This record gives sequence, C-alpha cells and structure tokens, in this order.
Amino acid sequence: MRLTALLMMAARVVVPKDYRFGTNRPWTAAAKRLNPAGKKRRKVFVEPLAAEDWSVLRGDMVQILTGKDAGKTGKVIQVFRHRNWVMLEGLNTHHRYIGRTRDYRGTYIASEAPILLRDVALIDPSDRKPTDVQWKFTEEGDRVRVSLRTGRIIPKPVVERRDGIVAQQWKDGPKDTSPDDTLEKTYVPSLKTLEEEVMEKMGIQENRRNKRSYWY
Amino acid sequence: MATSSSAGRVLTLCKQFQNVFRISSAINSQQCYSVLTKYQPRLYRETSPLAALSWYRPSSYVGQCRALHTTVSRRGLDEFFDLPENWGQTEVKSGAPWTAKQLRTKSNEDLHKLWYVLLKEKNLLVTLEQEAKRQRVQMPSPERIRKIARSMIRLETVVNERETALRLLQTGQEKGRPGAWRRNKFGHVYWYRFKEYAIPWYMNRKYKRKSFFTPKFVQPHIRLRIEKHLRGKARKASLERSTQAKLKEKFPQLKVPAS
Repeated sequence: MRLTALLMMAARVVVPKDYRFGTNRPWTAAAKRLNPAGKKRRKVFVEPLAAEDWSVLRGDMVQILTGKDAGKTGKVIQVFRHRNWVMLEGLNTHHRYIGRTRDYRGTYIASEAPILLRDVALIDPSDRKPTDVQWKFTEEGDRVRVSLRTGRIIPKPVVERRDGIVAQQWKDGPKDTSPDDTLEKTYVPSLKTLEEEVMEKMGIQENRRNKRSYWY
Repeated sequence: MATSSSAGRVLTLCKQFQNVFRISSAINSQQCYSVLTKYQPRLYRETSPLAALSWYRPSSYVGQCRALHTTVSRRGLDEFFDLPENWGQTEVKSGAPWTAKQLRTKSNEDLHKLWYVLLKEKNLLVTLEQEAKRQRVQMPSPERIRKIARSMIRLETVVNERETALRLLQTGQEKGRPGAWRRNKFGHVYWYRFKEYAIPWYMNRKYKRKSFFTPKFVQPHIRLRIEKHLRGKARKASLERSTQAKLKEKFPQLKVPAS
C-alpha cells in the first residue's frame, strides 16, 4: 500500500516555499522555463487575505473597477489564490502570436491578463451593480455571501465538473454502485478486528499458535 | 457544493456514484445465475463487429450466495479485460470514487469484499494501460486508475482507524508496532521501531554491535549543531518580522495582516 502512496506523491508536483506563482500551472514547461529549479526570483508581496474571506468564486459575474476595461462585467474563468488574481473571460486582454514556427508568424490571439482582487467587485444580481460582499450565516446555518449595500444573498455559481458529468442526467453504468447501496449502513460496531470478523463469517478456524518471537 | 440542509445533502449524496460493483449482502439464489457464454477476447486494437459476440450481463460482479461464498462471475482470464462493448472506445464513463465517509458506514465484511473488487478492477485497468502502451494508443479514461487508487487508500485509512480505536481500548497503545525513543551515535533522539526476531537480543551478534548511546567526544559537535539551529531560528524570525513590516508598508490596513 505504501507503494501507491509513494507513486502518488511522486506524481504530485512539490513547489518550494518562495515559489513565484504565475498564470501557468507549476508542472507545465512554460512555468519551468520561468521558474527554473534552484533559481530564486524576486519576491512578490501579496496582500494577506484569510482563506475564509475569499468571496470571488469561479463562474461569478464581476465588474472591473480600474484599468483598461474599467466598468466592464465578465465571468471569472480562473482564480489564483496565491497571488490574489482573477482571470476574466475576454477582458483585460493583450494580443500576441501563438504557435510560432520558423516561417509562420503564428496565430494572432487575444490573451487575458490576470486582475488583482482589489480591482474587482462582485455584481449584485438584483440591481446589477458592483457591491462589497461579506460572508454571513443564514437561518438554516448555510454560509452565504451577502451584499453590504442591498443585503441580498449572492448565490454560489454552478460549477461544471471537470469530467463533464451532470448529476441530474447521470445514468449508472454496469460497474457503478447505486446510491441506495452506497448509503446503506451495514456497519455494526463490535470489539472484533476486521480479520477476526471475516474469519468468522467465512468459517476459517485458526488453531495454530505463533511461535515465540522477540521484538527489539 | 453541498448545502447543509438535509434535503440538499441527500440529493448531493444521491448524485455521487461509485466506480465499484454492487455489494449487496442479501442476494437470493435467483440472482446467483451467470450468463457465462464463451467469446474470444480480442486484442484492444482489433475492433471487430460485436454482433457475433454474446452479450455478457453482469448483474452483480461479486455476488455471492451466503452459504457457499463463491464468486458468481468466474470468467477466468476474461476478468482481466473490460466489457466487450467498451473495447475500442476512446472514452469510458465512470462514476466518482468512494469517499471515506461512505466507507465508514460499511461493515468489515463489505470492506473486505470491496477491497478485492477494487483490486480486480485495478488489475483490469493496468492491463489495459499496458496494452495501450504496446499498441501505442492512448488509454481510454486513465482517470479510472486514479479513482480506484484513491478509493483503496481511503478504505485502508478507514480500516486502520477501526484497528487503532480497538487497540486503544484494549491495550492503551496507539501504535501497532512496538518501538522506543533511542539516541544514536550522533546525538539524535529518534523513534526506533522494533523488529521481530527469532532469538533474544543477547544472542543476536549483529544487534549487540549497534550502539544506542552518544560518546563523549560528540558533545562539542552537538553544541555546534544547537548553535546552528538557534541561528537559523533567529534568521527565520527576523525574516518574518521584516516581511510583516514590508507588508504593512505596502498594504496599509487597519487590522494586523495574518501571518
């Protein structure tokens, strides 16, 4: 079992403490080119924000307050918590050539630049204006975002799963366990180890005794 | 994702589907049938029309009649291969892996069976992966292996939890393997894990050659090590202080920034 854990650990990328996070994921070639192993880059100071105070989620509609596209609204594509960045769809773009070869100059595309969390505000769905947001608890006990200006709850955006599964339209395959079988509780606590219980159920009788051994 | 309301929780849980076969503990004899028809297992790349092949209907993969404890679907080497309808596909749908919370509600017998079900599925997928490498074709849905590995790790965690709880109750020991805090030649104190031997320690020549004490001439080196450690600690503290000062200067906030 330790081998599996070891393999999974090896597959995961370990990043040094003073790693400078960029728009590329740390395991990509572009990130390795910008942050080569062993090289120390200039430190960026990120405004400290507690993890539970983070209010902008992927899929939210936000408005940019300052910058080139000030006043425009867009959907959040990506969130970089390490740098307090937010990437919006099609906003704050610059143009560059991609897929360049020796003879071909490449495709001219618009690529988005990340925006700081400070320069962005959530949009209240009732009046479609930017607001400040706070995390509060409802009567039922749910933790929700409440806009400070209107007092309306801003719902969490629906996130599509990475594998494209939509829960309502899912059909169990032949190898999937049905929800009823999964949630069925069969555990009865007892003072027996798993081995003893299974041996009992299978009718295995172990009458042999271990030879005397020494632990040191 | 999951709301704390009960309806939302049930709904969310019902939406989770597992990549494992059915573990029904009460299976009546009617279900203990098997539509075992022979078909030639084809190699992965050679996709031929499946009309000639018989249809294998897996009702319960590890179903078992209580009295006998035999596996219903004993297809021999065919268990290393996927269902024929998935041969040649570029994508095979699979559900979510088992979570530790769900596994904790299952009995030890169910977990025992589930382990082997997961193991067999893992062997199937790993065979598929190897065959895909041999044919230089991409394996369909490689995330299935990761889901299975995660489920197995969680299962082991749950089993270890139960074992630790029982051991604490019965003996008061947290660890299953005995050990002791010992000092090595370099002055480090570490948890030495005991090994099982057939002979006592005073008869074990190799063990008697080990020394679990620090000689006197090592003391100056230990002192230097301590000094180095303290210097490192002081450096870390001063670095922390300077970063806090710089953060305060760059982001003048009313409350103290969390470190």
